[in-house]
Amino acid sequence: MSASAALLADGLGKRYGSNWALRECTLEIPAGSVTALVGPNGAGKTTLLQLAIGLLRPSTGAIEVLGRTPQHDAAALLPHVGFVAQEHPLYHGFTIADTLRFGAKLNPRWDQDAAVRRIEQLGLPLRKKIGKLSGGQQAQVALTLALSKQPQVLLLDEPVASLDPLARREFLQSVMEAVSETGMTVVLSSHIVADLERVCDHLVILSHARTILAGSIDDILASHRVLTGPRTDPATVARVHNVVRESHTERQTTLLVRANGHVYDSTWQLHEVDLEEIVLAYLGLDRTVRTSRERLHEAVPA
Amino acid sequence: MTWVAWRRQRTETLIAAGIVAVLVLALVPTGVEMASAYHHDGLSGCLGVNTSLSCSTELQSFTSRFDHLNSFVSWLTLIPGLFGVLLAAPFVLELENGTHRLAWTQSITRGRWIAHKLAVAVGAAIVASLVLTLLVTWWRTPYVHLQGRMTTSTYDSEGIVVFGYTLFALGLVAAVGAVWRRAVPALVTGFVGYFAARIFVDTWLRQRLLTPLRISWPFGSGEPAVLQHAWGISQQLVDASGKPAPPPILTCGGHVIAGSGKQALGKCLTAHGVRLQAIYEPASRFWPLQGIETGLFAGTALVLLLFAAWWTHERAA
Repeated sequence: MSASAALLADGLGKRYGSNWALRECTLEIPAGSVTALVGPNGAGKTTLLQLAIGLLRPSTGAIEVLGRTPQHDAAALLPHVGFVAQEHPLYHGFTIADTLRFGAKLNPRWDQDAAVRRIEQLGLPLRKKIGKLSGGQQAQVALTLALSKQPQVLLLDEPVASLDPLARREFLQSVMEAVSETGMTVVLSSHIVADLERVCDHLVILSHARTILAGSIDDILASHRVLTGPRTDPATVARVHNVVRESHTERQTTLLVRANGHVYDSTWQLHEVDLEEIVLAYLGLDRTVRTSRERLHEAVPA
Repeated sequence: MTWVAWRRQRTETLIAAGIVAVLVLALVPTGVEMASAYHHDGLSGCLGVNTSLSCSTELQSFTSRFDHLNSFVSWLTLIPGLFGVLLAAPFVLELENGTHRLAWTQSITRGRWIAHKLAVAVGAAIVASLVLTLLVTWWRTPYVHLQGRMTTSTYDSEGIVVFGYTLFALGLVAAVGAVWRRAVPALVTGFVGYFAARIFVDTWLRQRLLTPLRISWPFGSGEPAVLQHAWGISQQLVDASGKPAPPPILTCGGHVIAGSGKQALGKCLTAHGVRLQAIYEPASRFWPLQGIETGLFAGTALVLLLFAAWWTHERAA
């Protein structure tokens, strides 16, 4: 296990009755990275984040955050991890000042000056009730609460899902500023792929409770290619590379592959592919993805 | 953490305080009026078994003046349930709104959070019960002098049972709410459960906590003094051997006497040695009964609170 990992999962699983919310999840999130956790609703993103903060206990496997086990070492770990839950819950009867006092009372590493400064930058009056703020403003207050803990790791569960495009952009901007100031590790989940590429440098794709791809975005972009060529059976290509998606017209076959090394076959034309298309290909419901998922799962370095 | 727990509990505590304030406003003037009527009429001289004719007139005018108020105050026995439900609400609302996730992802462990939250609720419940008990006990002082405090409506709002009742309602709502995580159903279920438990204890269990005493006296003579401030559970006619006698309306000594005069019936019953028997709890058992009943309610409350804490600690996410 690498010392520079902010979050390590090893065979991590969470089961409710006979349903797996997360299964055989093995991954390493490097310290200082900004990782997007992408997948459709119900893929296990929330489960993974709640396991990381200790809201849930694993059914199988293990998880470590900053070298500590969340469930056993909560008192030592919690001061160093910021968390904004889905729908960014806050006490609606509290004023912003109350909310900051709440943070100050419950966090030993709390930075009150920074908290007040952020609220002022947002142009929000401290005496305003949380319930009277817009969704975007509430998300910003929730983020302020998490950031003022001065965490080393910040976990954000679907932070922008409920926000309009402008608020979404402002929120991600705030996260980016905090990252550039502190160098903290961020893991944020989202089922919206747009905007993430600007913010994140690592990507984990979850689907049906399993990790189907994990790695740095640069590596992912470098290793994925779209191949077009005359209509053929992709079996030859699939022997060497992982075919993520295939589509055929009468005369042409188009493949999205995760290449293992170079693609030498001159019958294929190579194109670069953007992140959104890669994610959609992995999450696509066509048969190829499903059949190759197991193979992919094994092939993807954790 | 205590500030946080208090701040989350503030609205509900203020509502509880508001209820107490309304009760104070309603009860203090009438209480003062009742106490002065009691002293003015010299009713304290009328206590005891043999009372003069003027005494019984005074007593009658006193009770006819204040009985409707007294029966209103008896309804205040529902207030402990209301306090308990109200003070448990923040705990359940927290789970319903998901804000426990906010608290548990600050730097305190969920165990500490649960303990503080429930402790503040219990503290507020104890203070509210204390104020309510003191207020009602003071208000009812003249009545207690006249009638004792063993009758259900008085017993239920004096001594220490109110603490048990409030904590029981609090624990019930906390336990139901921990599992259900929906405030309104939990509050309604809790209050209904509180009411059901109170009716069960008032009408069935309490008279079985300590075996009641029996006393009998000849038919026609006055009630024994020991029954004056006691809780009379039931009365029946018994024959000379102490066995229940058949209903006197039908027979006396084997003769059907229905329809003959009341005096004849009385004479016949006396002649056959028929006596009246009362089953009762004496006034001296006020504190033992209060102790047992409070123990039952508070003990159940403790179990419910521990369950709510355990369930929330282990199952909530």
